[in-house]
Amino acid sequence: MAENKKIAKIVVNRDLCIGAASCITIAGEVFELDGENKAVMLLKSGQRNSGPALKNDLVNESVSDETILSAAQSCPTKAILLYDDEGNQIYP
Amino acid sequence: MQEVKYLIVGGGAAGTGAAETIRSQDKESTIAIISDEPHRFYSRILLSKPNFFLEKIPFAQVWLKTEEWYRQNNIVFWGGKKAVGLDPHAKTVSLDDGTAIRYGKLLLAIGGSARPWGIPGSQKQGIFYLRTLDDAKAIIHAVKGARRGVAIGGGFIGFEMCEMMCLAGMETTILIREPYFWANLLDETSGQMIEASLAKNGITISRNAQAREVLGNERVEELLLSDGKKISCDIAVVGIGLTCPFDWIGAAGVMVDRAIITNEYLETNVRDVWAAGDAAEFNDLVTGERIQLGNWVNAQMQGKAAARNMMGKKEAFRMVSFYTTQGFDLKIAFVGNVRPAPDHNVISRGSKEIASYARLISKNGKLIGATLINRTQELGAIAKLIERGVDVSGKPNQLSDPNSNLNALLS
Repeated sequence: MAENKKIAKIVVNRDLCIGAASCITIAGEVFELDGENKAVMLLKSGQRNSGPALKNDLVNESVSDETILSAAQSCPTKAILLYDDEGNQIYP
Repeated sequence: MQEVKYLIVGGGAAGTGAAETIRSQDKESTIAIISDEPHRFYSRILLSKPNFFLEKIPFAQVWLKTEEWYRQNNIVFWGGKKAVGLDPHAKTVSLDDGTAIRYGKLLLAIGGSARPWGIPGSQKQGIFYLRTLDDAKAIIHAVKGARRGVAIGGGFIGFEMCEMMCLAGMETTILIREPYFWANLLDETSGQMIEASLAKNGITISRNAQAREVLGNERVEELLLSDGKKISCDIAVVGIGLTCPFDWIGAAGVMVDRAIITNEYLETNVRDVWAAGDAAEFNDLVTGERIQLGNWVNAQMQGKAAARNMMGKKEAFRMVSFYTTQGFDLKIAFVGNVRPAPDHNVISRGSKEIASYARLISKNGKLIGATLINRTQELGAIAKLIERGVDVSGKPNQLSDPNSNLNALLS
């Protein structure tokens, strides 16, 4: 994993997500559960969805890459995918 | 004798998280993990999920660390070895193979074991527990040839196993010792909602039911209940709680009760010995109570917190943890401290009729926990209310109205 790359885009794979909510513990300003017990992101547009979402479109766009990466790493099903600004997957 | 600066007993979420945290900040010191399981770190939380059993989720998804990860990070993994003794004066841990390891700092992240059923015949083939990856593999194999299954115990393992057996096309029964499902943590309304969902999916629910004996030759054929009734089955999965195997730890002078007792820094009463995860009973700063939790998020975060303190920091562990599960048409979540106690006040939100029901639990005017059925979207807001210690004592209507937005109480 290229931890030094900047995170540009975040996706929650809803098929893998089991609603364990570890991402919410670590980054509760970014992630929430929806009514289907799947992780969604809080977006500036007022929408909440599993993405793909640009980091710039998050309500809390100033969240650190470290926090988002920790949230992704904490997921017990590796359901959070992170991409850099060239579209390369940087986690998992 | 082998000597390790940071010795971690337990290779699960707490132990692995601790090793990773130490290595991220200390490239030099020796780190070793002892695990009584032969497998490297895997997703224990995935094990009970129906789609994992039915192989709809690829098996490889279970692995959370590669073998290279241990090598690259210079973390020694001793799998298949059981710690059986602790000498805090000599600072050694002895293993079941007769060897001993000297430690500088020790983390006990030993988790829990499935509570044994203990009734006559419960050693027969076809009786399963679900705690380890090998347990799960055995059940996956057994499900393929089974026609009738029984889940034992009205808790989360019972709930998830019911759905798994039902999806596998098995004739399924659940035995509950209590008068309704999950009676130790939920109220009757919540229990009835879960039971209604099980019944709608063709599952037979046997309440106030105690199995007396497992009948059959080598294999289970029937379960004999205390009232004389018999249930035919090919397999039974027992989920009646956890026990912590800590006799050897208590014998070394480490204080234990329901689990290993720690302060808010996850330190035990013995110098240079910490505990984390399911095996820790810690001072919870959020609720002001001493609690033990059996969930993934708590284990992972405690492992990391304990690791930082083992390296010399003095950071109190403070977190609102969750547990969620889903099955059939239900999404169930527990937030914070949900154990009933005389000084806990419960406010109902929603109802069985609208298939959406929460119980908000408060103490001294502040929320400390919640149980949610089909309202998991409120988990984030509730966790924040608990975390921030918001006084909700004057807001009974907002708490009880299922249409009110709990986020409004945060501002």
